[in-house]
Amino acid sequence: MAQTLAPAPGGPLGFGARMGSMRRSPGFQYRLQQSAVDILAIFLILQVASIIFSLADPGTFAFTSTANLLVAFQTIPLLGVVAVGVGILMIAGEFDLSVGANYLFSSLMMAQIYQDYHIDIWLCAVIGLAIGTGIGFLNGLITLRLHIPSFITTLGTMGIWEAAALFFHGASSQVFTPPNSFMVLTNGSFGWMAGEMVWFVGICIAAWALLQRHALGNHIFAAGGGPQAAISSGVDVFRAKMIAFSLAGGLAALAGILAAANVGDVSPEVNSTIPLEAIAACVIGGAALTGGRGTVLGIFLGAILLYWIQDVLLLLSAPGFYLTAFVGALVIAAAVMYQYLQARRT
Amino acid sequence: MDQAAGDIVLNVGSGSTDGMAPGEQGLPPMLLELDRVTKRYGNMEVLKDVSLHVRKGDIVGLLGDNGAGKSTTVNVISGVVQPDEGELRWMGQVKQLTDRRASAELGIETIFQNSALVDSMTIARNIFMGREMVGPMGFMRQREMREIASEVLKTIVAIEGIDSPDKLVGQLSGGQKQAVAIARAVHFNRTLLVLDEPTSALAVRATEALFDYLRHLRERGITSILVTHNLFDAYRICDRFVAMAHGQVVLQAKKGEVTVDDLVEVVSRGRLSSKEEREAAGVPAS
Ligand SMILES: Nc1ncnc2c1ncn2[C@@H]1O[C@H](COP(=O)(O)OP(=O)(O)OP(=O)(O)O)[C@@H](O)[C@H]1O
Ligand SMILES: [Mg+2]
Repeated sequence: MAQTLAPAPGGPLGFGARMGSMRRSPGFQYRLQQSAVDILAIFLILQVASIIFSLADPGTFAFTSTANLLVAFQTIPLLGVVAVGVGILMIAGEFDLSVGANYLFSSLMMAQIYQDYHIDIWLCAVIGLAIGTGIGFLNGLITLRLHIPSFITTLGTMGIWEAAALFFHGASSQVFTPPNSFMVLTNGSFGWMAGEMVWFVGICIAAWALLQRHALGNHIFAAGGGPQAAISSGVDVFRAKMIAFSLAGGLAALAGILAAANVGDVSPEVNSTIPLEAIAACVIGGAALTGGRGTVLGIFLGAILLYWIQDVLLLLSAPGFYLTAFVGALVIAAAVMYQYLQARRT
Repeated sequence: MDQAAGDIVLNVGSGSTDGMAPGEQGLPPMLLELDRVTKRYGNMEVLKDVSLHVRKGDIVGLLGDNGAGKSTTVNVISGVVQPDEGELRWMGQVKQLTDRRASAELGIETIFQNSALVDSMTIARNIFMGREMVGPMGFMRQREMREIASEVLKTIVAIEGIDSPDKLVGQLSGGQKQAVAIARAVHFNRTLLVLDEPTSALAVRATEALFDYLRHLRERGITSILVTHNLFDAYRICDRFVAMAHGQVVLQAKKGEVTVDDLVEVVSRGRLSSKEEREAAGVPAS
């Protein structure tokens, strides 16, 4: 153990003084380690392989076809936007299993209000977002004020909002026929680039700015990584977590709204895999289930990888149940990989 | 003023700090005083009439066996628990510390071995945790924070193995973590450092280095309370000792007024033996 705590003011540090400013400095290496570089490497290899296969055999493996890409870019964000919110909340050390129910309930309410009362669609969208954010806020309040694990809170509210969707709407599906301006901004496409993807990328950039550049982001990491240390350093852990809960709720609602615009109706039937797939995307992207660790780029790539598996299996016309097995295996593999990397680095 | 010659208080049942008024001639000003602090958990009195004082620039050893009440005293000083009776004075003023933030605002930094920093965050982010330098709309002044962090590492800590402020705290050793936590406290001008069992996880050299470091801080006028049950360590570094047993302060003494054997005895038996007992045991009275 070569460690000494020399009192020397201005004492030597054993490396060049211009640390951080050099490319190959230790700082650069540490920043690289903390980035999503692992998942990025895997991602690029898989994508390049898929593209090569697709170019070699476009007939059976139409990976790069415009139609395939457009569908991908329309579908990935529906999970991805949820995953960004779930990921921020995971970094803050909490879970939200009610995002699927929230996604449904918020978008259903928006569609119903719009179709029944013919209020301005943008106002309806804001109402939908407000409902989702409110659901997240309530999850936070119950969890933090009553001191119960968020896993339990949101398992409970998941059931409540699922039932609420049926209670307020009934079992029939709700049509949603928004005006063209709304459709263009949510669901428009330009070649293979879909409107949903623009939203997803925008949200990722905003989330990155929040987590990596804003003081609140520092508080979110601190709240999840070491709540005791955070509190004693003057971080308002309650506030940081409440904001993370609300963001998770709001983003689940946004994804629901994008989905409603995409599909043209809302069926009051919960897609029960949403919360687990969102958590899976975060874990694949390197977010720690224990909180305090995660990157937006990782979550972004994690969401794409989850879809990529489904897409490849579909293109290879594998039976549907393969899919769930692969997703499960991928999550475990990702968790093992990060554990291994973590152990090597600390 | 019967204790003015020494600073020894023995078996103080209701020991107040009389004779220790602030501004006493020739002594540094009073920083922190606990006055007859009592803390109960259920009907168990964990602290009984604890009175102690800390003067500016001292390294005070808070000593005692397991369960003596040291950590509880630290918790009172850092605002984690509130006393049932008695008061805490900071620079002569009575203060109610409702939480850790209240103590931090006064300039008290409590450093627990494992809960001072967040492992999953970088050193730079830890140093500024809760005190981020922000520009417009709350965005962090990242570059400035990194530069200051590496400056802090260079000038205040200067520890081998910490080669960049971008290193994760989880990648540091126990001693290095402690050094970073202390450096942060110093950078933010804390006046009183409270270290609860800082050496329990440290090897010989790291302990030495930590002590050198505390001495260096003392020269800069920073006061420390060192909580430990390693009496030999404490004896070497501390200027004053406060020994506790069974929730009571059983000895307050300056270095030079007691021997390390006295400390061992008072901590293990809860009191110093009388002159007669010592003579009976064949030990020359000091
Ligand atoms: N939250 C609590 N509830 C009940 N009893 C407590 C609590 N905290 C401490 N105690 C009791 O108070 C007594 C003093 O505990 P304290 O932690 O202050 O001892 P200590 O001097 O720090 O000991 P050690 O050297 O083992 O750390 C112990 O008997 C302990 O069991
Ligand atoms: Mg203790």
